[in-house]
Amino acid sequence: MKKFIKWIASGWMLILFFVGFFLFWEYSIPLFDIPRYILPSPSEIVLKGSADLDKLVYYTGVTALETVLGYIIALILGVGFGIAISFSSILRRTLYPFFVSIEMTPKIAFAPLFISWFGFGLMPKVIIVVLVCFFPIVLNAILAFNSLSNELTLFYQSTGASRLKTFFSIRLPAALPQCFVGFKYAAINATVGATIAEFIGSDKGLGFYISIVTGNMRPDLAFAGIFFLTVLGLTIFGFVTMMEKILIPWHISMKRINK
Amino acid sequence: MKNFIEVTELKKVFGNGEDEVHAFGPATININSGEFVSVLGPSGCGKSTLMLMVAGLLDSTSGKVEFENKVVNGPKTDIGIMFQDNTLVPWRTVRGNIELQLELRGLNLKDYQEKINNILKSVNLDDFADRFPNELSGGMQQRAAFCQAMIHDPKIILLDEPLGKLDAMTREKIRADFQKLWMVKKPTVIFVTHSIEEAVQLSNRVILITPRPGKIDREIKIDLPYPRDLQIKRSAKFTEYVNSIQEVFHKYGVI
Repeated sequence: MKKFIKWIASGWMLILFFVGFFLFWEYSIPLFDIPRYILPSPSEIVLKGSADLDKLVYYTGVTALETVLGYIIALILGVGFGIAISFSSILRRTLYPFFVSIEMTPKIAFAPLFISWFGFGLMPKVIIVVLVCFFPIVLNAILAFNSLSNELTLFYQSTGASRLKTFFSIRLPAALPQCFVGFKYAAINATVGATIAEFIGSDKGLGFYISIVTGNMRPDLAFAGIFFLTVLGLTIFGFVTMMEKILIPWHISMKRINK
Repeated sequence: MKNFIEVTELKKVFGNGEDEVHAFGPATININSGEFVSVLGPSGCGKSTLMLMVAGLLDSTSGKVEFENKVVNGPKTDIGIMFQDNTLVPWRTVRGNIELQLELRGLNLKDYQEKINNILKSVNLDDFADRFPNELSGGMQQRAAFCQAMIHDPKIILLDEPLGKLDAMTREKIRADFQKLWMVKKPTVIFVTHSIEEAVQLSNRVILITPRPGKIDREIKIDLPYPRDLQIKRSAKFTEYVNSIQEVFHKYGVI
Protein backbone atom coordinates (compact mmCIF):
# COMPACT_ATOMS: atom_id res chain seq x y z
CA MET A 1 0.00 0.00 0.00
CA LYS A 2 2.77 2.34 0.98
CA LYS A 3 4.55 1.41 -2.23
CA PHE A 4 1.42 2.17 -4.22
CA ILE A 5 1.09 5.62 -2.66
CA LYS A 6 4.74 6.27 -3.41
CA TRP A 7 4.19 5.15 -6.97
CA ILE A 8 1.21 7.49 -7.36
CA ALA A 9 3.21 10.30 -5.81
CA SER A 10 6.08 9.86 -8.24
CA GLY A 11 3.90 9.21 -11.27
CA TRP A 12 1.14 11.75 -10.76
CA MET A 13 2.32 14.00 -13.58
CA LEU A 14 2.20 11.13 -16.05
CA ILE A 15 -1.23 10.06 -14.81
CA LEU A 16 -2.49 13.61 -15.10
CA PHE A 17 -1.11 13.77 -18.62
CA PHE A 18 -2.93 10.61 -19.66
CA VAL A 19 -6.21 11.76 -18.11
CA GLY A 20 -5.83 15.11 -19.89
CA PHE A 21 -5.01 13.39 -23.16
CA PHE A 22 -8.11 11.19 -23.12
CA LEU A 23 -10.37 14.05 -21.94
CA PHE A 24 -9.09 16.20 -24.79
CA TRP A 25 -9.71 13.35 -27.24
CA GLU A 26 -13.23 12.72 -25.83
CA TYR A 27 -14.38 16.33 -25.99
CA SER A 28 -12.63 17.50 -29.13
CA ILE A 29 -14.68 15.07 -31.22
CA PRO A 30 -18.05 16.85 -30.73
CA LEU A 31 -16.21 20.18 -30.52
CA PHE A 32 -14.60 19.89 -33.96
CA ASP A 33 -17.48 17.83 -35.34
CA ILE A 34 -15.31 14.84 -36.33
CA PRO A 35 -17.39 12.05 -37.89
CA ARG A 36 -17.26 8.79 -35.88
CA TYR A 37 -16.21 6.73 -38.93
CA ILE A 38 -13.01 8.82 -39.04
CA LEU A 39 -12.18 8.98 -35.34
CA PRO A 40 -14.35 7.56 -32.55
CA SER A 41 -14.21 8.91 -29.01
CA PRO A 42 -12.55 6.87 -26.22
CA SER A 43 -15.90 6.20 -24.55
CA GLU A 44 -17.32 4.81 -27.78
CA ILE A 45 -14.23 2.59 -28.25
CA VAL A 46 -14.76 1.15 -24.77
CA LEU A 47 -18.49 0.68 -25.32
CA LYS A 48 -18.34 -0.97 -28.75
CA GLY A 49 -15.16 -2.83 -27.92
CA SER A 50 -16.67 -4.46 -24.85
CA ALA A 51 -19.54 -5.78 -27.00
CA ASP A 52 -16.90 -7.58 -29.07
CA LEU A 53 -14.89 -8.66 -25.99
CA ASP A 54 -15.08 -12.44 -26.53
CA LYS A 55 -13.60 -12.17 -29.98
CA LEU A 56 -10.96 -9.68 -28.88
CA VAL A 57 -9.81 -11.88 -26.01
CA TYR A 58 -9.68 -14.96 -28.23
CA TYR A 59 -7.71 -13.12 -30.92
CA THR A 60 -5.35 -11.71 -28.31
CA GLY A 61 -4.63 -15.29 -27.32
CA VAL A 62 -3.95 -16.23 -30.95
CA THR A 63 -1.56 -13.33 -31.51
CA ALA A 64 0.06 -13.89 -28.12
CA LEU A 65 0.78 -17.52 -29.01
CA GLU A 66 2.45 -16.52 -32.32
CA THR A 67 4.45 -13.76 -30.66
CA VAL A 68 5.63 -15.70 -27.63
CA LEU A 69 6.49 -18.85 -29.61
CA GLY A 70 8.45 -16.81 -32.16
CA TYR A 71 10.16 -14.80 -29.46
CA ILE A 72 11.29 -17.86 -27.50
CA ILE A 73 12.59 -19.59 -30.64
CA ALA A 74 14.46 -16.41 -31.63
CA LEU A 75 15.89 -16.19 -28.11
CA ILE A 76 17.26 -19.72 -28.17
CA LEU A 77 18.62 -19.41 -31.72
CA GLY A 78 19.96 -15.90 -31.18
CA VAL A 79 21.87 -16.66 -27.98
CA GLY A 80 23.03 -20.01 -29.37
CA PHE A 81 24.42 -18.48 -32.56
CA GLY A 82 25.76 -15.51 -30.59
CA ILE A 83 27.82 -17.78 -28.35
CA ALA A 84 28.94 -19.96 -31.27
CA ILE A 85 30.04 -16.94 -33.29
CA SER A 86 31.93 -15.33 -30.42
CA PHE A 87 33.85 -18.53 -29.71
CA SER A 88 34.62 -19.61 -33.29
CA SER A 89 36.84 -17.51 -35.51
CA ILE A 90 35.58 -19.33 -38.61
CA LEU A 91 31.95 -18.45 -37.84
CA ARG A 92 33.03 -14.91 -36.97
CA ARG A 93 34.40 -14.51 -40.48
CA THR A 94 31.47 -16.15 -42.27
CA LEU A 95 28.17 -16.09 -40.39
CA TYR A 96 28.75 -12.79 -38.62
CA PRO A 97 29.17 -10.59 -41.75
CA PHE A 98 26.27 -12.53 -43.30
CA PHE A 99 24.03 -11.67 -40.35
CA VAL A 100 25.15 -8.05 -40.37
CA SER A 101 24.28 -7.69 -44.08
CA ILE A 102 20.89 -9.38 -43.65
CA GLU A 103 20.20 -7.07 -40.72
CA MET A 104 20.08 -4.24 -43.27
CA THR A 105 17.14 -5.74 -45.19
CA PRO A 106 13.73 -5.04 -43.71
CA LYS A 107 12.79 -8.56 -42.58
CA ILE A 108 9.10 -7.80 -42.78
CA ALA A 109 9.46 -7.66 -46.59
CA PHE A 110 9.79 -11.45 -46.50
CA ALA A 111 6.36 -11.81 -44.88
CA PRO A 112 4.28 -12.25 -48.09
CA LEU A 113 6.76 -14.88 -49.30
CA PHE A 114 6.47 -16.88 -46.11
CA ILE A 115 2.68 -16.72 -46.26
CA SER A 116 2.78 -18.02 -49.84
CA TRP A 117 5.23 -20.78 -48.91
CA PHE A 118 3.71 -21.94 -45.64
CA GLY A 119 0.04 -20.96 -45.89
CA PHE A 120 -2.28 -19.16 -43.46
CA GLY A 121 -1.58 -21.17 -40.33
CA LEU A 122 0.46 -20.56 -37.22
CA MET A 123 3.83 -21.47 -38.72
CA PRO A 124 4.44 -18.57 -41.13
CA LYS A 125 3.57 -16.05 -38.38
CA VAL A 126 5.95 -17.68 -35.95
CA ILE A 127 8.67 -17.67 -38.62
CA ILE A 128 8.18 -13.97 -39.26
CA VAL A 129 8.33 -13.18 -35.53
CA VAL A 130 11.50 -15.28 -35.27
CA LEU A 131 13.01 -13.40 -38.20
CA VAL A 132 12.19 -10.00 -36.73
CA CYS A 133 13.45 -10.90 -33.24
CA PHE A 134 16.48 -13.01 -34.13
CA PHE A 135 18.79 -10.29 -35.44
CA PRO A 136 18.76 -7.84 -32.55
CA ILE A 137 19.21 -10.78 -30.18
CA VAL A 138 22.07 -12.43 -32.06
CA LEU A 139 23.95 -9.20 -32.81
CA ASN A 140 23.76 -8.03 -29.20
CA ALA A 141 24.75 -11.49 -27.97
CA ILE A 142 27.86 -11.47 -30.16
CA LEU A 143 28.77 -8.04 -28.83
CA ALA A 144 28.05 -9.22 -25.28
CA PHE A 145 30.22 -12.32 -25.41
CA ASN A 146 33.09 -10.46 -27.08
CA SER A 147 33.36 -7.53 -24.71
CA LEU A 148 34.96 -9.14 -21.67
CA SER A 149 37.71 -6.86 -20.39
CA ASN A 150 41.29 -7.78 -21.09
CA GLU A 151 42.04 -7.84 -17.36
CA LEU A 152 39.32 -10.38 -16.57
CA THR A 153 40.48 -12.57 -19.45
CA LEU A 154 44.05 -12.57 -18.12
CA PHE A 155 42.75 -13.14 -14.60
CA TYR A 156 40.84 -16.31 -15.43
CA GLN A 157 43.70 -17.57 -17.59
CA SER A 158 46.00 -17.22 -14.59
CA THR A 159 43.73 -19.50 -12.54
CA GLY A 160 43.97 -22.38 -14.99
CA ALA A 161 40.18 -22.87 -14.83
CA SER A 162 38.48 -24.90 -17.57
CA ARG A 163 36.65 -23.14 -20.40
CA LEU A 164 33.31 -24.44 -19.15
CA LYS A 165 33.88 -23.20 -15.61
CA THR A 166 35.06 -19.83 -16.90
CA PHE A 167 32.03 -19.58 -19.12
CA PHE A 168 29.54 -20.01 -16.29
CA SER A 169 31.51 -18.08 -13.66
CA ILE A 170 32.59 -15.09 -15.74
CA ARG A 171 31.71 -14.95 -19.42
CA LEU A 172 27.99 -15.63 -19.13
CA PRO A 173 27.16 -13.28 -16.24
CA ALA A 174 29.37 -10.58 -17.78
CA ALA A 175 27.47 -10.89 -21.06
CA LEU A 176 23.93 -10.76 -19.64
CA PRO A 177 23.43 -6.96 -19.48
CA GLN A 178 24.28 -6.49 -23.17
CA CYS A 179 22.20 -9.57 -24.07
CA PHE A 180 19.20 -7.99 -22.41
CA VAL A 181 19.54 -4.92 -24.63
CA GLY A 182 18.81 -7.26 -27.55
CA PHE A 183 16.07 -9.15 -25.68
CA LYS A 184 14.22 -5.93 -24.93
CA TYR A 185 14.54 -4.55 -28.43
CA ALA A 186 13.29 -7.86 -29.82
CA ALA A 187 10.38 -7.88 -27.36
CA ILE A 188 9.22 -4.55 -28.77
CA ASN A 189 9.48 -5.84 -32.34
CA ALA A 190 7.83 -9.20 -31.69
CA THR A 191 4.21 -7.98 -31.69
CA VAL A 192 4.94 -5.81 -34.73
CA GLY A 193 6.04 -8.90 -36.65
CA ALA A 194 3.00 -10.94 -35.62
CA THR A 195 0.57 -8.12 -36.47
CA ILE A 196 1.98 -7.50 -39.94
CA ALA A 197 2.07 -11.23 -40.66
CA GLU A 198 -1.63 -11.36 -39.77
CA PHE A 199 -2.38 -8.32 -41.94
CA ILE A 200 -0.93 -10.13 -44.93
CA GLY A 201 -2.67 -13.45 -44.62
CA SER A 202 -4.64 -14.98 -41.77
CA ASP A 203 -8.12 -15.87 -40.56
CA LYS A 204 -7.67 -15.00 -36.90
CA GLY A 205 -5.61 -12.85 -34.55
CA LEU A 206 -5.58 -9.18 -33.64
CA GLY A 207 -3.87 -8.10 -36.88
CA PHE A 208 -6.55 -9.93 -38.84
CA TYR A 209 -9.27 -8.33 -36.69
CA ILE A 210 -7.91 -4.81 -37.13
CA SER A 211 -7.62 -5.12 -40.90
CA ILE A 212 -11.18 -6.55 -41.20
CA VAL A 213 -12.95 -3.97 -39.02
CA THR A 214 -11.03 -1.12 -40.67
CA GLY A 215 -12.31 -2.38 -44.02
CA ASN A 216 -15.82 -2.34 -42.56
CA MET A 217 -15.45 1.34 -41.59
CA ARG A 218 -15.34 0.51 -37.88
CA PRO A 219 -12.43 2.54 -36.49
CA ASP A 220 -13.90 2.14 -32.98
CA LEU A 221 -13.30 -1.63 -33.12
CA ALA A 222 -9.90 -1.09 -34.76
CA PHE A 223 -8.90 1.04 -31.76
CA ALA A 224 -10.17 -1.65 -29.42
CA GLY A 225 -7.92 -4.13 -31.26
CA ILE A 226 -4.98 -1.74 -31.04
CA PHE A 227 -5.60 -1.41 -27.31
CA PHE A 228 -5.37 -5.17 -26.84
CA LEU A 229 -2.21 -5.30 -28.98
CA THR A 230 -0.67 -2.60 -26.80
CA VAL A 231 -1.53 -4.54 -23.65
CA LEU A 232 0.02 -7.66 -25.20
CA GLY A 233 3.19 -5.79 -26.16
CA LEU A 234 3.47 -4.18 -22.73
CA THR A 235 3.00 -7.54 -21.01
CA ILE A 236 5.78 -9.17 -23.01
CA PHE A 237 8.11 -6.23 -22.52
CA GLY A 238 7.25 -6.08 -18.83
CA PHE A 239 8.01 -9.77 -18.45
CA VAL A 240 11.42 -9.38 -20.11
CA THR A 241 12.21 -6.37 -17.90
CA MET A 242 11.19 -8.37 -14.86
CA MET A 243 13.51 -11.21 -15.89
CA GLU A 244 16.30 -8.67 -16.24
CA LYS A 245 15.70 -7.47 -12.70
CA ILE A 246 15.67 -11.04 -11.39
CA LEU A 247 18.69 -12.30 -13.33
CA ILE A 248 20.98 -9.28 -13.11
CA PRO A 249 19.90 -7.25 -10.09
CA TRP A 250 23.48 -6.02 -9.72
CA HIS A 251 23.25 -4.32 -13.09
CA ILE A 252 20.05 -2.44 -12.28
CA SER A 253 21.40 -1.26 -8.94
CA MET A 254 24.62 -0.17 -10.62
CA LYS A 255 22.70 2.04 -13.01
CA ARG A 256 20.75 3.61 -10.17
CA ILE A 257 23.84 4.47 -8.18
CA ASN A 258 25.64 5.92 -11.17
CA LYS A 259 22.82 8.38 -11.63
CA MET B 1 72.03 -22.65 -7.53
CA LYS B 2 69.91 -21.21 -10.24
CA ASN B 3 67.60 -18.29 -9.68
CA PHE B 4 63.90 -18.64 -8.91
CA ILE B 5 62.88 -16.78 -12.05
CA GLU B 6 65.23 -16.53 -15.01
CA VAL B 7 64.35 -14.38 -17.97
CA THR B 8 66.77 -14.89 -20.86
CA GLU B 9 67.04 -12.65 -23.93
CA LEU B 10 63.28 -12.11 -23.83
CA LYS B 11 61.86 -10.07 -26.69
CA LYS B 12 58.43 -9.11 -27.99
CA VAL B 13 57.51 -7.78 -31.41
CA PHE B 14 53.86 -7.09 -32.17
CA GLY B 15 52.45 -7.38 -35.69
CA ASN B 16 54.58 -8.10 -38.75
CA GLY B 17 55.84 -6.45 -41.93
CA GLU B 18 55.29 -2.72 -42.03
CA ASP B 19 53.02 -2.75 -38.97
CA GLU B 20 55.76 -4.29 -36.88
CA VAL B 21 56.19 -2.74 -33.44
CA HIS B 22 59.19 -3.71 -31.39
CA ALA B 23 57.66 -3.55 -27.93
CA PHE B 24 60.25 -5.01 -25.61
CA GLY B 25 63.70 -6.47 -25.21
CA PRO B 26 65.82 -8.35 -25.61
CA ALA B 27 66.39 -8.41 -21.87
CA THR B 28 67.81 -10.79 -19.29
CA ILE B 29 66.62 -10.66 -15.69
CA ASN B 30 67.11 -12.91 -12.69
CA ILE B 31 64.82 -12.80 -9.68
CA ASN B 32 65.28 -14.54 -6.35
CA SER B 33 62.55 -16.24 -4.39
CA GLY B 34 60.82 -13.82 -2.03
CA GLU B 35 62.27 -10.79 -3.73
CA PHE B 36 60.25 -7.63 -4.34
CA VAL B 37 61.33 -6.34 -7.75
CA SER B 38 60.00 -3.20 -9.37
CA VAL B 39 60.02 -2.71 -13.10
CA LEU B 40 60.19 1.02 -13.61
CA GLY B 41 59.88 2.83 -16.89
CA PRO B 42 58.01 5.45 -18.88
CA SER B 43 54.58 4.55 -20.26
CA GLY B 44 54.73 2.54 -23.46
CA CYS B 45 58.16 1.06 -22.71
CA GLY B 46 56.82 -2.49 -22.69
CA LYS B 47 57.00 -3.14 -18.97
CA SER B 48 53.48 -4.58 -18.85
CA THR B 49 54.39 -6.72 -21.86
CA LEU B 50 57.37 -8.06 -19.91
CA MET B 51 55.16 -8.88 -16.93
CA LEU B 52 52.61 -10.75 -19.05
CA MET B 53 55.35 -12.74 -20.78
CA VAL B 54 56.83 -13.71 -17.42
CA ALA B 55 53.36 -14.92 -16.35
CA GLY B 56 53.03 -16.93 -19.56
CA LEU B 57 49.92 -14.91 -20.44
CA LEU B 58 51.57 -13.53 -23.58
CA ASP B 59 53.84 -15.40 -25.99
CA SER B 60 57.30 -13.99 -26.49
CA THR B 61 58.81 -13.50 -29.93
CA SER B 62 62.15 -14.90 -28.81
CA GLY B 63 63.97 -15.78 -25.62
CA LYS B 64 62.62 -17.73 -22.69
CA VAL B 65 61.28 -17.51 -19.15
CA GLU B 66 62.11 -20.17 -16.57
CA PHE B 67 60.61 -20.75 -13.14
CA GLU B 68 62.74 -23.01 -10.96
CA ASN B 69 64.41 -24.34 -14.11
CA LYS B 70 61.11 -25.08 -15.85
CA VAL B 71 60.47 -23.23 -19.10
CA VAL B 72 57.18 -21.33 -19.20
CA ASN B 73 55.03 -22.06 -22.23
CA GLY B 74 51.43 -21.22 -21.35
CA PRO B 75 49.76 -19.37 -18.46
CA LYS B 76 51.38 -19.87 -15.07
CA THR B 77 48.77 -20.72 -12.49
CA ASP B 78 50.61 -20.37 -9.17
CA ILE B 79 50.43 -16.60 -9.47
CA GLY B 80 48.29 -13.76 -8.21
CA ILE B 81 47.75 -10.88 -10.59
CA MET B 82 46.55 -7.31 -10.24
CA PHE B 83 46.04 -4.59 -12.81
CA GLN B 84 45.31 -0.87 -12.92
CA ASP B 85 41.72 -1.79 -13.75
CA ASN B 86 40.69 -4.28 -11.11
CA THR B 87 39.43 -7.77 -11.81
CA LEU B 88 36.43 -7.58 -9.50
CA VAL B 89 33.19 -8.67 -11.14
CA PRO B 90 30.17 -6.43 -10.44
CA TRP B 91 27.74 -9.28 -9.73
CA ARG B 92 29.62 -10.57 -6.71
CA THR B 93 30.27 -9.01 -3.32
CA VAL B 94 33.79 -8.41 -2.06
CA ARG B 95 33.73 -11.81 -0.38
CA GLY B 96 32.22 -13.37 -3.51
CA ASN B 97 34.99 -11.89 -5.63
CA ILE B 98 37.65 -13.33 -3.38
CA GLU B 99 35.85 -16.65 -3.53
CA LEU B 100 35.84 -16.42 -7.34
CA GLN B 101 39.62 -16.88 -7.32
CA LEU B 102 39.18 -20.02 -5.19
CA GLU B 103 36.25 -21.36 -7.21
CA LEU B 104 38.09 -21.01 -10.51
CA ARG B 105 40.97 -22.95 -8.99
CA GLY B 106 38.65 -25.67 -7.69
CA LEU B 107 39.55 -24.99 -4.04
CA ASN B 108 37.16 -25.68 -1.17
CA LEU B 109 35.49 -22.43 -0.08
CA LYS B 110 34.79 -23.70 3.45
CA ASP B 111 38.48 -24.12 4.19
CA TYR B 112 39.14 -20.51 3.32
CA GLN B 113 36.42 -18.54 5.16
CA GLU B 114 38.67 -17.83 8.15
CA LYS B 115 41.44 -16.75 5.83
CA ILE B 116 39.16 -14.45 3.86
CA ASN B 117 38.10 -12.76 7.09
CA ASN B 118 41.72 -12.32 8.12
CA ILE B 119 42.94 -10.87 4.87
CA LEU B 120 39.97 -8.49 4.70
CA LYS B 121 40.75 -7.37 8.23
CA SER B 122 44.39 -6.77 7.34
CA VAL B 123 43.37 -4.21 4.71
CA ASN B 124 40.51 -2.76 6.81
CA LEU B 125 37.78 -4.12 4.58
CA ASP B 126 36.17 -6.47 7.10
CA ASP B 127 33.07 -4.27 7.34
CA PHE B 128 32.66 -4.31 3.57
CA ALA B 129 32.79 -8.06 2.88
CA ASP B 130 29.16 -8.14 1.76
CA ARG B 131 29.23 -4.96 -0.31
CA PHE B 132 29.34 -4.93 -4.09
CA PRO B 133 32.36 -3.38 -5.84
CA ASN B 134 30.34 -0.45 -7.18
CA GLU B 135 29.47 0.50 -3.60
CA LEU B 136 33.16 0.98 -2.76
CA SER B 137 35.62 3.78 -3.47
CA GLY B 138 38.42 3.22 -5.97
CA GLY B 139 40.95 2.64 -3.21
CA MET B 140 38.73 0.12 -1.45
CA GLN B 141 38.15 -1.69 -4.74
CA GLN B 142 41.90 -2.00 -5.25
CA ARG B 143 42.34 -3.33 -1.73
CA ALA B 144 39.60 -5.89 -2.40
CA ALA B 145 41.34 -6.81 -5.66
CA PHE B 146 44.54 -7.25 -3.68
CA CYS B 147 42.79 -9.74 -1.37
CA GLN B 148 41.47 -11.52 -4.45
CA ALA B 149 44.98 -11.80 -5.87
CA MET B 150 46.50 -13.03 -2.59
CA ILE B 151 43.92 -15.38 -1.11
CA HIS B 152 45.33 -18.59 -2.61
CA ASP B 153 48.84 -17.79 -1.29
CA PRO B 154 50.51 -17.54 -4.68
CA LYS B 155 54.27 -17.86 -4.77
CA ILE B 156 54.44 -15.05 -7.29
CA ILE B 157 52.51 -11.79 -7.29
CA LEU B 158 52.36 -9.70 -10.45
CA LEU B 159 51.26 -6.12 -10.00
CA ASP B 160 50.70 -4.02 -13.13
CA GLU B 161 50.39 -0.42 -11.95
CA PRO B 162 47.73 -1.38 -9.43
CA LEU B 163 47.74 2.08 -7.86
CA GLY B 164 47.78 3.98 -11.14
CA LYS B 165 44.28 5.39 -10.92
CA LEU B 166 44.24 6.27 -7.23
CA ASP B 167 44.75 9.57 -5.51
CA ALA B 168 48.04 10.27 -3.71
CA MET B 169 46.73 9.68 -0.19
CA THR B 170 45.07 6.39 -1.02
CA ARG B 171 48.19 5.21 -2.83
CA GLU B 172 50.25 5.90 0.26
CA LYS B 173 47.88 3.86 2.37
CA ILE B 174 47.70 0.89 0.02
CA ARG B 175 51.48 0.85 -0.44
CA ALA B 176 51.73 0.36 3.31
CA ASP B 177 49.17 -2.47 3.10
CA PHE B 178 51.15 -4.16 0.31
CA GLN B 179 54.36 -3.89 2.28
CA LYS B 180 52.79 -5.30 5.40
CA LEU B 181 51.41 -8.35 3.60
CA TRP B 182 54.60 -8.92 1.63
CA MET B 183 56.68 -8.85 4.82
CA VAL B 184 54.49 -11.52 6.38
CA LYS B 185 54.06 -13.89 3.43
CA LYS B 186 57.23 -13.17 1.45
CA PRO B 187 55.96 -13.98 -2.01
CA THR B 188 58.06 -13.06 -5.02
CA VAL B 189 56.67 -9.80 -6.36
CA ILE B 190 57.09 -8.18 -9.74
CA PHE B 191 55.74 -4.68 -9.48
CA VAL B 192 55.29 -2.69 -12.69
CA THR B 193 55.09 1.04 -12.10
CA HIS B 194 56.05 4.45 -13.39
CA SER B 195 56.29 5.99 -9.94
CA ILE B 196 59.90 6.26 -8.85
CA GLU B 197 59.05 6.88 -5.23
CA GLU B 198 56.74 3.88 -5.12
CA ALA B 199 59.42 1.63 -6.60
CA VAL B 200 62.08 2.81 -4.15
CA GLN B 201 59.78 2.51 -1.16
CA LEU B 202 58.65 -1.03 -1.82
CA SER B 203 61.41 -2.91 -3.62
CA ASN B 204 64.55 -4.84 -2.90
CA ARG B 205 65.62 -4.04 -6.41
CA VAL B 206 64.47 -1.64 -9.11
CA ILE B 207 64.90 -2.49 -12.77
CA LEU B 208 65.01 0.62 -14.96
CA ILE B 209 63.55 0.19 -18.44
CA THR B 210 64.44 2.51 -21.33
CA PRO B 211 61.78 4.08 -23.59
CA ARG B 212 60.43 1.79 -26.33
CA PRO B 213 61.68 -0.70 -27.32
CA GLY B 214 62.20 -1.32 -23.61
CA LYS B 215 65.61 -2.61 -22.63
CA ILE B 216 67.20 -2.75 -19.22
CA ASP B 217 69.19 0.36 -18.54
CA ARG B 218 70.40 -0.74 -15.12
CA GLU B 219 69.32 -2.39 -11.91
CA ILE B 220 69.47 -0.60 -8.60
CA LYS B 221 69.50 -2.48 -5.33
CA ILE B 222 67.61 -0.56 -2.67
CA ASP B 223 69.49 -1.06 0.55
CA LEU B 224 67.03 0.25 3.11
CA PRO B 225 65.49 -1.58 6.06
CA TYR B 226 61.84 -2.69 6.11
CA PRO B 227 59.23 -1.57 6.99
CA ARG B 228 59.85 1.54 4.99
CA ASP B 229 57.63 4.08 6.68
CA LEU B 230 57.54 7.87 6.56
CA GLN B 231 60.72 8.04 8.62
CA ILE B 232 62.67 6.19 5.96
CA LYS B 233 61.06 8.13 3.16
CA ARG B 234 62.35 11.33 4.72
CA SER B 235 65.89 9.94 5.02
CA ALA B 236 68.75 11.23 2.90
CA LYS B 237 69.44 7.79 1.47
CA PHE B 238 65.89 7.43 0.19
CA THR B 239 66.08 10.79 -1.53
CA GLU B 240 69.43 9.83 -3.00
CA TYR B 241 67.92 6.73 -4.61
CA VAL B 242 65.03 8.71 -6.01
CA ASN B 243 67.36 11.38 -7.39
CA SER B 244 69.72 8.92 -9.05
CA ILE B 245 66.79 7.23 -10.80
CA GLN B 246 65.38 10.56 -11.86
CA GLU B 247 68.72 11.39 -13.44
CA VAL B 248 68.62 8.23 -15.54
CA PHE B 249 65.21 9.04 -16.93
CA HIS B 250 66.19 12.66 -17.40
CA LYS B 251 69.01 11.45 -19.61
CA TYR B 252 66.41 9.72 -21.83
CA GLY B 253 64.35 12.87 -22.00
CA VAL B 254 61.43 11.15 -20.29
CA ILE B 255 61.33 13.63 -17.41
